Amino acid sequence: MKTIAVIFGGRSAEHDVSIITAHIPIIESLTAMGGFDIWPVYITKEGDWYSDKAMNDMAFFKQSDYETILKKQKKVRLSFDNGLEMVWPGILDKKVKIDVVFPAMHGTYGEDGSLQGVLRMAKVPFVGCDMASSAVAMDKAFTKQVLFAEGVPVVPFVWFTREDFVSKDGVLKEKIAKLKYPLFVKPVHLGSSIGITKVKQPSELLNAIEVAFHYDDKVLVEEGVENLIEVTLPIIGNDVLTLASVERPLNKTEFFDFKDKYLSGGKGSGVNSEYSEVPAKIDEALIKEVQTLGKKTYRALGCSGIARVDFLIDASTKKVFVNEVNTLPGSLYIHNWKKSGVSGVELVTRLVKLAEERFAQQQALTHTFSSSILQKVGGLKAQ
Amino acid sequence: MKNFLTRYSLTYVRSLVYMLQASEYHVGDFLDWFWRTRDFLHVEERKALVKTPKAVAFLCVGYSALTVVYVFVFWLLSTTTTVCGYLVSFLAIVGIPFVLTYILAVFTVAVRFVQWPVERSIVASAKKKLKEHKGLKIAIAGSYGKTSMREILKTVLGKGKRVSAPPGSYNTPQGIAKFVKGLQGDEEVLIFELGEYYPGDIRKLCDFVQPDMGVITGVNEAHLEKFKDISRTQKTIFELADYLASVIPAEAGIQKGLLYINGENALAKEYVTTLIPPFLKEVPDRAEDLNPSARKFATPFMKERINFYTRAGAGKWKVENAKTSLEGTTFTLADGTQKISAHSHLLGLHQVGPLAAVADIATGLGLTPLQIEQGISETKPFEHRLEPKTDAHGVITLDDSYNGNPDGVRAVIDFLASLKGIGLSAEGRRFYVTPGLVEMGVKTEEVHKEIGRQLASAGIEKVVLIRNSVTPFIEKGLQEGKYEGEIIWFAKALEAFSALPNLTVKGDVVLLQNDWPDQYA
Repeated sequence: MKTIAVIFGGRSAEHDVSIITAHIPIIESLTAMGGFDIWPVYITKEGDWYSDKAMNDMAFFKQSDYETILKKQKKVRLSFDNGLEMVWPGILDKKVKIDVVFPAMHGTYGEDGSLQGVLRMAKVPFVGCDMASSAVAMDKAFTKQVLFAEGVPVVPFVWFTREDFVSKDGVLKEKIAKLKYPLFVKPVHLGSSIGITKVKQPSELLNAIEVAFHYDDKVLVEEGVENLIEVTLPIIGNDVLTLASVERPLNKTEFFDFKDKYLSGGKGSGVNSEYSEVPAKIDEALIKEVQTLGKKTYRALGCSGIARVDFLIDASTKKVFVNEVNTLPGSLYIHNWKKSGVSGVELVTRLVKLAEERFAQQQALTHTFSSSILQKVGGLKAQ
Repeated sequence: MKNFLTRYSLTYVRSLVYMLQASEYHVGDFLDWFWRTRDFLHVEERKALVKTPKAVAFLCVGYSALTVVYVFVFWLLSTTTTVCGYLVSFLAIVGIPFVLTYILAVFTVAVRFVQWPVERSIVASAKKKLKEHKGLKIAIAGSYGKTSMREILKTVLGKGKRVSAPPGSYNTPQGIAKFVKGLQGDEEVLIFELGEYYPGDIRKLCDFVQPDMGVITGVNEAHLEKFKDISRTQKTIFELADYLASVIPAEAGIQKGLLYINGENALAKEYVTTLIPPFLKEVPDRAEDLNPSARKFATPFMKERINFYTRAGAGKWKVENAKTSLEGTTFTLADGTQKISAHSHLLGLHQVGPLAAVADIATGLGLTPLQIEQGISETKPFEHRLEPKTDAHGVITLDDSYNGNPDGVRAVIDFLASLKGIGLSAEGRRFYVTPGLVEMGVKTEEVHKEIGRQLASAGIEKVVLIRNSVTPFIEKGLQEGKYEGEIIWFAKALEAFSALPNLTVKGDVVLLQNDWPDQYA
């Protein structure tokens, strides 16, 4: 029986969404599949790590006092002794060796490559995108720069840091002035549409930038797309890719906000279940274009395991732009996979297998080599 | 040892009372359960104790008895200095869970003894009211399919008559008496389900409701554990036929004493054709020439009173072009001069026979073909009886959790088999989820192996089994049938139910077959 750790929660604005993703569908599907010893690993908003099998049940987190209950428990520590081990210190340490990790943390530290870096160091297979692709995809500006360089269409954009905004005010204003209104102002690192403002005229710009800087120290200003159709495409795979259905969010507001994405989900079906059209009822040619660009984007960013590529389509010109990439889609976008013929159990089984395959490939690489450099250091002095 | 200690949990008394309630205060069933059960902590799994005044009285008795024993042990331990005293205390503690069970059993018998005259008087008064009631009384007997038949009758006859029937599963004298109490008196048709648990039950219920007409939906192994022998089940169910033989044939233009029998049920047909062969072939002049059990049928008029119903038709109606899918069942009823284009929301061709029977009864009661057609179009699956539900992800669940008999199972597997290429999308898979059937007695192994063979032959893609004493027989049957699909095991039904959303995709059809009440867990 494989021991799998599902890591969720964390110091992120998407902490609560992560709890849902971890349970629906990850833990539920792993349980349904059987053959796994599932260890839920929960990171509090303060950054404390706990693991207790009672947390495999989502009901644990519905208790109003679950944080108080956790505080009475022993925190779990990680040991990287040729693999990952969870340790509960005591007179006799309790230890659990982890075979595979399933990260279910959205946003900061979980989806930005931080956790992936730790897991690489621990030498343990983990599900989803690796450190580099996670870090790039987490930064909307980096994503657009990479995609632009790779010839993937993106909307015109300008990015700057807080420091740039103060020191290069004139240059930035000039650059922004070249963009066509309406604009979108976004913190580059946050997901779930947090801190994003639609700016219809120059007078609203400063306020929107201030809002974005409230959440992040790097901001992206980009052109909006006229006659907008938003679609998204979940993808899984390492070398061979499997596409879910092209999905169209049916948001009523002007753009997709946090509430649309996470709070309008149907009961018991994770997030995102009832606000979209799957498959999207758009031209077949557009579907094909989205699929082609989706695969190109996935590969350009070096994604593996799972990711979701978001697109903006101008309905009148039929032009398709890649908007951003999400390396851990909320609830793995299970609602879409199910409608595309992949069940929760099949999805998590394939993701675990992909993680193990990637890990095996990485282990086959040589990371060290013998050299006499240490002996040579200071050697001349001794002479 | 761990299981033994569960008898000392705080919820032990509650578990006992819950099980008494679940087994309808049948002491035998309750004691059978008690001696079969090891873990008394996890008893209230599927349902919970309903705190009726009767249940509360039992709880009071249980906890009082427990308190008395513990106070006695405490007193003994604090005063005794002898080995004997300690020994008695020890024995009292070890024995109390068992003694308590029998105290509750004796209390059940005592309550029944007190209740009996009261219930008898209630039933007598209901019987009197029924005797004076002018409505046509239709009784339904059978090992299965009674509620479906009641609902079809109620829906179709309701298009032209004022119809009333007891709700839920009111099929015991007390349940029926409660229903009779609420009758207005102007109902034109009354429909009764007759429940059978022991020989003589149907006869008693017939004496009570005095039916003018009857339907026998079939005989099978349901409750075989109680009947021990299938021939006793047959005989008990056909007590309805015995009663109807004595009904005066016609009154106010309506033919009475009619009996509709499910001709697709082998055991019902066998009872009529084998045990009473002259009845179908040639009725002898002298009833004395028949065996005693057949004499009641020997009256010449009985020959005209029997109507077998099948998917080919019933009475004057012949069935043509029957088709079924996930949307319902469609067929034409023709009698040579008239036609009825029937569309029912009920699923499966096994529903055609009962619908045709009801059409024939309705015709006899004077309903027009149009009224019958409208009535049939309003028939729909009843709760937990092959009831389809489609979730937000496009997975179709057929809730057949109240269907726990071999004939019903066969019909449903036939229905699932018929979906391939018709109701099922190309990628859609069929999931058959079951904990098996209960009370199959000596036929347990045979019945379950047969289910396995049927599933294999129908090519069901996924069979989800709940681990218990009977499902290994289904697995065996699947192997015998060279099953090529996937068998998925779960320790408990609830685990399977929560896993299913993660196993299914759009277009899949999930059939939930039968549900094991706690007393069989």
